[in-house]
Amino acid sequence: MANPAVKLRQPIARRWPRIPFEIRLVLWWCFWLLVLLFLFSGTQIALGPIQIKTISLDWGFIATWWPFISKGVIITFELSIISMLCAVVLALSAALARLSRVASLNSFANLYVSLMRGTPLFLQFIFIYSALPQFGPSFVLNAFPSAVLALSLNYGAYMSEIFRAGIQAVSRGQIEAAYALGMTPWQTMRRIILPQALRIITPDIGNQFIAMQKDTSLASAITLLELMGLARQAGAPRQHYFEALVVAAIWYWLMTIILSYFQRKLEHRMARSDR
Amino acid sequence: MQFTIIMEPIVKVENLHKHFGNLEVLKGVNLRIAPREVVCLIGRSGSGKSTLLRCINFLEDPTAGVITVAGISVPAGERTSAHRQQIIELRERTGMVFQSFNLFPHKTVLENLIEAPMIVKRMSREQIVPIAEQLLEKVGLSEKRDVYPSRLSGGQQQRVAIARALAMQPQVMLFDEPTSALDPELIGEVLEVMRDLARDGMTMLVVTHEMSFAREVADRVIFVDGGVFVEEGSPDQFLTNPQDERTRRFLDRIL
Repeated sequence: MANPAVKLRQPIARRWPRIPFEIRLVLWWCFWLLVLLFLFSGTQIALGPIQIKTISLDWGFIATWWPFISKGVIITFELSIISMLCAVVLALSAALARLSRVASLNSFANLYVSLMRGTPLFLQFIFIYSALPQFGPSFVLNAFPSAVLALSLNYGAYMSEIFRAGIQAVSRGQIEAAYALGMTPWQTMRRIILPQALRIITPDIGNQFIAMQKDTSLASAITLLELMGLARQAGAPRQHYFEALVVAAIWYWLMTIILSYFQRKLEHRMARSDR
Repeated sequence: MQFTIIMEPIVKVENLHKHFGNLEVLKGVNLRIAPREVVCLIGRSGSGKSTLLRCINFLEDPTAGVITVAGISVPAGERTSAHRQQIIELRERTGMVFQSFNLFPHKTVLENLIEAPMIVKRMSREQIVPIAEQLLEKVGLSEKRDVYPSRLSGGQQQRVAIARALAMQPQVMLFDEPTSALDPELIGEVLEVMRDLARDGMTMLVVTHEMSFAREVADRVIFVDGGVFVEEGSPDQFLTNPQDERTRRFLDRIL
């Protein structure tokens, strides 16, 4: 006999019964972006006793200075591409060194990685640009080369861990099969281990590249006129830091979105060949 | 078949010792295998039979002893570059088939076969591809030549692995529990390839639990226990009339 005091739980009424989750996500995305836009629109609202004034952007400033600041995107991109290439070479070398049984190489690579991961990237930038010249005129580097060196050394150290993990992820059995077939350790590394390791680590390396895009902004502290540097230059004398930085921020955001999109496509392509 | 060894053995293991730290896994093993002979090693896990196999092509470094394959003699101990070169030459004369197949997943079946001959023996594509295709036909997998290993069944992968080892044209084939990782219905196709291989006159050293295979194909069966050869003999006399108590106990458990 059913107890009348126990109320049967009603199913939660759904307010939007037919709109699928994915579409609801997109709609909410648009909503939040509009809120963001509204927050910067400079409108004033009176809600009873409370006055709400949103941030007013000088849109005229943005329109005028957009081209000037945007030129920095090219340098930012160049800087990150060159630094990334150097970093990958360093990372692979360091990973191989740390996996080798040659004590001199192993310990040196470990020292390199420890130093670069143990000190701030910002410090490394300033060090290379301002501190090294104290040792003599041959140690003077311009802003761009200094930035490349700092980014390569730093990211090379972090990525060497990624490379090492990828190499060690290749199963031992295949290495034994390669040896049993008469291949030398180097042949095995080149033909069997590295191709597979590279496929495993590509998403991680992609993430590192996207992160490096933003770290290039530190080069503005050593006078390089990339995106961040130009933004500061535009904003400072005219006290329009906010607008100038919004321009830079939008560019960094756009670059990240575009690169993430290409990285996802690359990952899809690689996953397909594994099937 | 009675086998009297009158010719020079193609595989000679002399006084082989192997330690893993403090544990002695092989205690002075001696073995001679004649050309075209098929020898089966049986025993419990941990008996040292797989270690013996892996010492022959130096996948494990023996602690002491001398391994001779097809005339190339390599003693245990320190590795100079001359030694390392000899080990590679020794490995070119032995083919190994693993329990877990160990195919290269990023290469197709055909590429798996031609990889080592091209890299190690420096053969050209034109030379090795016909040989590889012939081998694929022999193991019954011609139509899979451009397929990646992940799409093959276990039995098919193992057959490719056998073909890959054969592509180097070895004089001795080493099998390390080739069917232990296979589903029962796939074991037959692999054993058939091995049977054909033996019929064609390949020298084979097989670590296996498949007693039917041993009975049909082996010239000699050796029971390994605790790092030593406890008993050896022809399959018939071995399986029907084991002499040693330990052999009897082991056979009781698995037969």
